[in-house]
Amino acid sequence: MIAVCAGVILLFFLVAIFAPWIAPHDPVKVDLVHKLDGPSAQHWLGTDHLGRDNLSRLIYGARVSLGFAFLIFLSSLVLGTLVGALSGYVGGRLDNLIMRVCEGIMAFPNLVLVLGIVGIFGPGLMQVLLALMMVQWVYYARICRNMVVSLKERPFIAAARVSGSSSWQIIRRHIIPNVQRPIVVMATLEMGWAIMDISALSFLGLGIQPPNAEWGAMIHEGTSHIRSHPELMIYPGILILIVVMTFNIVGEALSERYGVAKR
Amino acid sequence: MLQVQEVCYSYGNHRSWLRPRSEKTPVLKQVSFELERGCCLGLLGTSGAGKSTLGRTVLGLQKPDQGQVLFEGRDLYAAGGRIRKTLRRDIQVVFQDCHSSVNPLMTADRIIGEPLRNYERLSARESKRRTGELLEQVGLSADDGNKRPDQFSGGQLQRINIARAIALRPKLIVLDEPVSSLDRVHQSLILDLLAELKASLGVSYLFITHDIQAAMMLCDRVAVMDRGELVHLTDWPASLWDCEQTAVKNLVEAVLPEHPGGRLALL
Repeated sequence: MIAVCAGVILLFFLVAIFAPWIAPHDPVKVDLVHKLDGPSAQHWLGTDHLGRDNLSRLIYGARVSLGFAFLIFLSSLVLGTLVGALSGYVGGRLDNLIMRVCEGIMAFPNLVLVLGIVGIFGPGLMQVLLALMMVQWVYYARICRNMVVSLKERPFIAAARVSGSSSWQIIRRHIIPNVQRPIVVMATLEMGWAIMDISALSFLGLGIQPPNAEWGAMIHEGTSHIRSHPELMIYPGILILIVVMTFNIVGEALSERYGVAKR
Repeated sequence: MLQVQEVCYSYGNHRSWLRPRSEKTPVLKQVSFELERGCCLGLLGTSGAGKSTLGRTVLGLQKPDQGQVLFEGRDLYAAGGRIRKTLRRDIQVVFQDCHSSVNPLMTADRIIGEPLRNYERLSARESKRRTGELLEQVGLSADDGNKRPDQFSGGQLQRINIARAIALRPKLIVLDEPVSSLDRVHQSLILDLLAELKASLGVSYLFITHDIQAAMMLCDRVAVMDRGELVHLTDWPASLWDCEQTAVKNLVEAVLPEHPGGRLALL
């Protein structure tokens, strides 16, 4: 099961990376003569209300959805882990300050906070990216901090210090390898959320701007044709479902294998 | 070699704006003693007597509130950075809990090689050879170097901890209850190993324990702690058996006889 899911994820990433070579048409080329066509040999999944090829738009959309979800995931992972490790390792006042900031951010529902941030900086992919990162790093920071606090008391850290390791060496050799697994498990589960969030914000028109393709944005464009052509919404919807579900299944499997508690 | 001078230490809540007055519990009250080269000082006491806290202070892990720890005439806590690192090289440790004293993700070679890596520039092959030697010195085989902690038993892990402690040829090793988590058979095997290493390396031990018999076996001098104070110090460990001091008497009376009927004979 986990192998199948990992394969699906890999496939999606490959499609996203090689989109220009795989996509049969230009995703933004308007062809009003063939608008809202059904499936044909030329357009396997038909065309949308501006005559753009659906399959090509889905393939290019994977680029944005997966690519930016991956960026958010990576940046919040790195930022959260570093800040959390620092907070737990140093302790005291700094720890107190960082944890209160985290709690402040966690107190708001994610989407509300992101909407607020996007409202301040204006819509656009970069702003959404920053906003989501600012919201997501706290979860990594919190988990990482708690693990570091409990690790710090273990005798092998004291033994490492006695044997002459500096703080940086202790963090690198002992702390980071020991927090890696739970963080990776959590990150896999978070990745699904990141894709959902990006799609949700694009659906609201805050993320990627037309005419560029993105799954959430495609669902939004499909809403005006929901009665006559529901497939315009169904295709990207199914893709989001598959991707988020596979990430969740992989995350669950990993957490079971490594015996890691979920948040 | 090691001089501990009037060391005081208290655990307590640090002050904050929520807790304007800090509450402190003293654990070390004016503790002083000396330890010579090649000598083994036993530090006896019940749980909570402050033995381990004193051990951590000697190791340079816990700055005392008052007093000094001098190692070869130099204050362990006054020196900063580089000098402290060189001072530390000569003081190593073996902790009680052998399982959590080693990083579960590292191989035995990397565990034992950590102090070597910190102080010496060794090639991968040289480091492997040295850790192999150390493993053999503590009674394991050089091939065990590739195994991880979960593949060793408690006694073997404690041997690995000892190998790490002797890797840098230190002058002093703090043994913080090194045999308390092991069964009787391994206790005596590890004590034999420690006695053997002491003779061959000329290292001093600060042997922290609550087991008076183990202390008798290894120590040249014995100090007894009770509620943060050093209450008894003797150069002749056997004299403890008929010492009148309450704290010492409690420890002596706690020794289990080989046979229930033997209890009376022991007293």
